[in-house]
Amino acid sequence: MFPATRRTRGVCFGDVGWGVHHANHYYGHSHVLARYCGLDDTDPPRLQGYLQHGWNIGDGLAPDHEYAPGVPSFLWSERTRRRAWSLGRRQGYVVGAPFAYLLTMEPLSDSDQREGTIWYPFHGWEGQHVVGDHDGLMAEIREVEDGPVTVCLYWQEFRSAKLRRRYESAGFRVICHGYRGGWWKDLDPGFLYRQLAELRRHQRVASNRLCSAVFYGALAGCEPAVYGDPMHLENEKAAFGGQARILREWAELHGPRPDPATARRIATDELGADRLLTPAELRRLLGWPMPTSVADAELTGVLTR
Amino acid sequence: MMQLIGGEMSVWSDLVGDPAADPAFLPLLAATTGRTLVAGPHAPQLIDALPAAEITLLVRGVPDAELLTARHASRPGVTVCCGSLEKLTDFPAYDTVVALDGLDRLLTTEAPSLTWDETLTLLLSFLAPQARLLLRLENLFGLHRLLAVPGAPTDTEWSAAGEGDPSRPTGPDALRTRLAAAGLTVVRDYAAYPGALLGGEVLADPALHGFLAATLNLPPARLLADPSRLITGALHHGLADDLAPAWIFLTGPGPTGPAAVLADPGSSGPAAVLADPGSSGPAAVLADPGPTGPAAVLADPGSSGPAAVLADPGSSGPAAVLADPGPTGPAAVLAGSGPSGPAASAGADTPAVPAEPAAESAAASRPGRVGWVDEIRRDGAGRWARGEGVPIPSGRTLDDLLISACQRRATPEVRGLLTAWQDSPAAGVPAAQVVVDADGNHHALAPAGNPVEALRRLAASMIDGGYAHLWPSPADEASLTALLAGMTGRELDPRDVPPGPRAGVETVRELTMARDRLERELADARATHEFYERQIAYRDHELKRLRQLNAVLSATVPGKAANTLVGGLKAGRRAVRAVVRRTRG
Repeated sequence: MFPATRRTRGVCFGDVGWGVHHANHYYGHSHVLARYCGLDDTDPPRLQGYLQHGWNIGDGLAPDHEYAPGVPSFLWSERTRRRAWSLGRRQGYVVGAPFAYLLTMEPLSDSDQREGTIWYPFHGWEGQHVVGDHDGLMAEIREVEDGPVTVCLYWQEFRSAKLRRRYESAGFRVICHGYRGGWWKDLDPGFLYRQLAELRRHQRVASNRLCSAVFYGALAGCEPAVYGDPMHLENEKAAFGGQARILREWAELHGPRPDPATARRIATDELGADRLLTPAELRRLLGWPMPTSVADAELTGVLTR
Repeated sequence: MMQLIGGEMSVWSDLVGDPAADPAFLPLLAATTGRTLVAGPHAPQLIDALPAAEITLLVRGVPDAELLTARHASRPGVTVCCGSLEKLTDFPAYDTVVALDGLDRLLTTEAPSLTWDETLTLLLSFLAPQARLLLRLENLFGLHRLLAVPGAPTDTEWSAAGEGDPSRPTGPDALRTRLAAAGLTVVRDYAAYPGALLGGEVLADPALHGFLAATLNLPPARLLADPSRLITGALHHGLADDLAPAWIFLTGPGPTGPAAVLADPGSSGPAAVLADPGSSGPAAVLADPGPTGPAAVLADPGSSGPAAVLADPGSSGPAAVLADPGPTGPAAVLAGSGPSGPAASAGADTPAVPAEPAAESAAASRPGRVGWVDEIRRDGAGRWARGEGVPIPSGRTLDDLLISACQRRATPEVRGLLTAWQDSPAAGVPAAQVVVDADGNHHALAPAGNPVEALRRLAASMIDGGYAHLWPSPADEASLTALLAGMTGRELDPRDVPPGPRAGVETVRELTMARDRLERELADARATHEFYERQIAYRDHELKRLRQLNAVLSATVPGKAANTLVGGLKAGRRAVRAVVRRTRG
């Protein structure tokens, strides 16, 4: 009998189900792309490839990701594509980050009321645990940030009432954007929408490690910052050079007050926001059907439901 | 009048194969003066362009001599000499010597083996002081030779000197030096491509590279690689002269000749000069397949080239009709009947005699235009113009720009180029026939067709060029066409892409790449098949498990109760439906 591969993350040639890989549907990414393509974003079609789901210093996908030959990777940036090619991943095509597509559909406005900082403490993913001094980090945040601070925890940390209370008692507003979904269950089409809504409320975005959220924030008009104890994961392996390489390669983004213009330029590159595809091209690439009616599809936007 | 001067070959024809016949020679010939010797096989239409009152034609095959005699019987002053060059002794020196077929077909099997240099010395001995020489030198390192697939020795190669002749000049500089030593000054030399003579000034101007890349080509033939890409590369690297199939030299005194000459690729009139498959250009005379046979019809073996129809020699129609070469091939690139050889093998027992001279080719005396051939020169404002002042677009071809952007993975640029093209009136013109100037304007060098067809041709060109890996596989022609349309924001279903014609001429490089690509795609497809097999196996397993679970749950008390409830509801629904049906009935 075929052994169904079940892992907590990554995976795999043995993956089955809705789309070539279940990670394609993390964070409502496929839902956002479906809406951009004029399709029903409550039920994105099967996606013919591996969609990058987070900022990455490797080949764009999780370090333990396994590939079926001939299945393309849809990557966020040209830099990632070049790196993936050098690592032997030839079937890479730059499509840009779903968040950048969301921004084209939910454009920023001058009337956005921005205040304070949204802070993303480094988190582990499913099954991983962060080791570090949260109190020390909170003290550092207080020292740097002038205005109100919203701390956004990953769903794992957010479930810990104790940890939540620690941040709340330090005077921070604590939120969670939601569960990213997994194995085609508990998918959250509203994840990115909530994240964008929060970013648009804040003047600054910060984290103790450079991550997707910082780039999202920079693209969404926040002034980014990366500072504080970077903490670490239990048994963390420094894949592709790890945190030390991130510090070397993206030094301009580190510190309490990096230059916002530089940060925005880098975020545009890393999220491929300057090379987004037309809906027609994206549909062709992802193997998605043509919309029967774009006007109808607009009515199915996640936020309008 | 025909004279057998000695050394003649009684069963041989050079005119059946590939004589000098490029229409681009016409302006040069029209500018000659005085007594003229035409040495070697030249198409009768070229001879028609000579204004001289006294002309000697030298050919080595008797059938050719008979053909030319008949062909020019109505023109006084034409003497046809049949035999070997060294036997041409009883004629006074000439004011013009035309050797646009080169020096390789002037000596016969009966002649002593002279080197190239000795042959030139012999030829020059026929020049009067202050005479003019038109000489062609084949480039033995030209693109046509670099790309040639090996072939069996032909009948023409009873003595193949070529590279084995150390006296032969290896390039324009060497020949210029040699002619200077003989007291001749080269006033103009050209890189000769089929249908085009290109002077140094034209080749040196990068602004013309796009136009030239769209215009130049080699005749359709079985080659090692697609010549168009190499020609584009040669232009970019300043090697178009070094790699030209041949060079043409014009010695003084007299006018220096135009900066360049181009056969009009858009011409569709009854031009009488047909291109040949060799490097020298169109073939002019084709033997009729039989004395009573129908008109010879030559179809271009390639998809992009023109077709030529030769009238029956006995008919009164035009000697030849040259079809519009279509968007990708210059008019001068046209299939001939093959290499020269024994006349009998070409069915030339009764040599074909074109019914009437194609006077159009040379008669026109409008400035800058001879027949359907354009001279290229700078206009008053210093811009390049052809013919009667038609500006030549500056820039690169869209095809070149797109491939360059693709290689750099500059996808936004690719999208911009594609969108601008498809939004322009040139949307239906193949990308290789569109020149994009510095302001982004599109200049079509061919008539517009269906835009989807133009996109399909671009897709085919990308795949053939080895760029299929730039897109997720399998990037077949229809899928890639739809994707390219998608890059412009247009919706196109691959099933709506019209199938393209199979390439008539296949090149070894492209065939190898296609094989490798298909091999890769097959391996990918097998892996994908295995992936789906696993999916099905897993889902079968899940289905079985869920059915077993259902069976177990159905056997429990709540399960039975649920089944009873569902059964009752279904019975109720059936009863209601029956009542409704009866009521309606």
